[in-house]
Amino acid sequence: MSSVNLDFAEELKEYSEDTALECFNCGTCAAICPLVHDNFPRRMIRYVQIGARDKILENSDELWRCLHCGLCTHTCPREADPGEIILGLKRFVVANFRRS
Amino acid sequence: MFNPRDIIETLANNVKQTASPFGIPKFMVNKWYKDINLPKEGEYLLLTGLMYQFTPFIEKSTQYLEKYEGTKMAGLLKYAKYVPSYISGIGLAMMTSRKEKKNAGQALKNIASLLKKSKVDFAYRPDLDNYSGILLYDMGDQKGFVAHAKKVAKKLQDAGIKKIITVDPHTAYALKELFPKYTGISFEVKSYFELLDLESKDCGIEVTLHDPCFFGRYLELSDVPRKVLTNLGISVSKIRNQGEFTSCCGGPAESISPSLSNEIMEKRAKELKEPGKPIIAYCPICLGNLKKSGANVEDLSTLLVRHI
Ligand code: SF4
Ligand code: SF4
Repeated sequence: MSSVNLDFAEELKEYSEDTALECFNCGTCAAICPLVHDNFPRRMIRYVQIGARDKILENSDELWRCLHCGLCTHTCPREADPGEIILGLKRFVVANFRRS
Repeated sequence: MFNPRDIIETLANNVKQTASPFGIPKFMVNKWYKDINLPKEGEYLLLTGLMYQFTPFIEKSTQYLEKYEGTKMAGLLKYAKYVPSYISGIGLAMMTSRKEKKNAGQALKNIASLLKKSKVDFAYRPDLDNYSGILLYDMGDQKGFVAHAKKVAKKLQDAGIKKIITVDPHTAYALKELFPKYTGISFEVKSYFELLDLESKDCGIEVTLHDPCFFGRYLELSDVPRKVLTNLGISVSKIRNQGEFTSCCGGPAESISPSLSNEIMEKRAKELKEPGKPIIAYCPICLGNLKKSGANVEDLSTLLVRHI
């Protein structure tokens, strides 16, 4: 079981705007994403919402499949900016591995 | 898929040491302007950002990455960062054929002629033409990107540059949106096709235009090349995903996973081939990637130059 980190949203603010809470999990982003991969990027945004920091680090390689094509951000009905959240998570992971 | 950490550290290291993501010093990649006469002063500065010049090297390095993806050799990439960038970069430069390098420069020569034909007052200064650092930004190396971007922006600012013409969507996005945000230095940035003023013609041909993500969505410029083409009597076929809803060519995944990149590229190539018309790209990454699919594709500047 992965742990939930309540300070994670705060920690992420250093890397991107905190728009993840706008997401209501409709799945539009995952449906339109050209990667067609295991509910990506929605699953990652859900991890952010629930503070599943470990899950993100565990699955971090997946983030670099993202093409930064912007289709998800462009079509998100809630302006949650999923593409930029993924980019922010990349920054978080890079900072994390540079620290380790 | 390669370990993103190995790829990022290799790219970051290369940019730090050589100001180029592939570790190839600028004097070896930027040669396109040498046999043409370009003004040193003008209202605008033409800044290529070296992306067109890098394409043949990207193709070459992807061929190697493709070979090793999913094999034990993939793990060796982490040692790449211990090899001085200029040594690996020069090796890559030597493996890349002269013809491919020349072809990459041709698009830039075309763009310069199109600007001249349109009476745009522009200068070209190789000393100020630097890579924007965009790949580091896309990969999440924010620190590396900001440090590099600041150097590039400062050099331009010190030279008194206010107006810039870019030629590819990635450099355009970096200069227009990211530089003001992360370096605090702003320029007036135009993409070359926004400044074209060509004599009207009636070519009576049809092409299929592939909009790059950054021009179609992020910068919302995809209607501009359409106007330029319409003025020459060149119509653009309707396809399923275009303009703001354009589909990615897969290029950005090239260094992390050539197989994923190929998968996405094949899908897009199929959509583009549907109307059966010549395909036109206006980004060097898209152009290189779509060529790999065997599509009949050329750069927008090549098509335009033929019809002026
Ligand atoms: S499209 Fe927007 S609201 Fe819907 S799941 Fe994706 S991020 Fe959430
Ligand atoms: S930006 Fe990334 S996550 Fe969003 S649609 Fe494109 S590839 Fe998918």
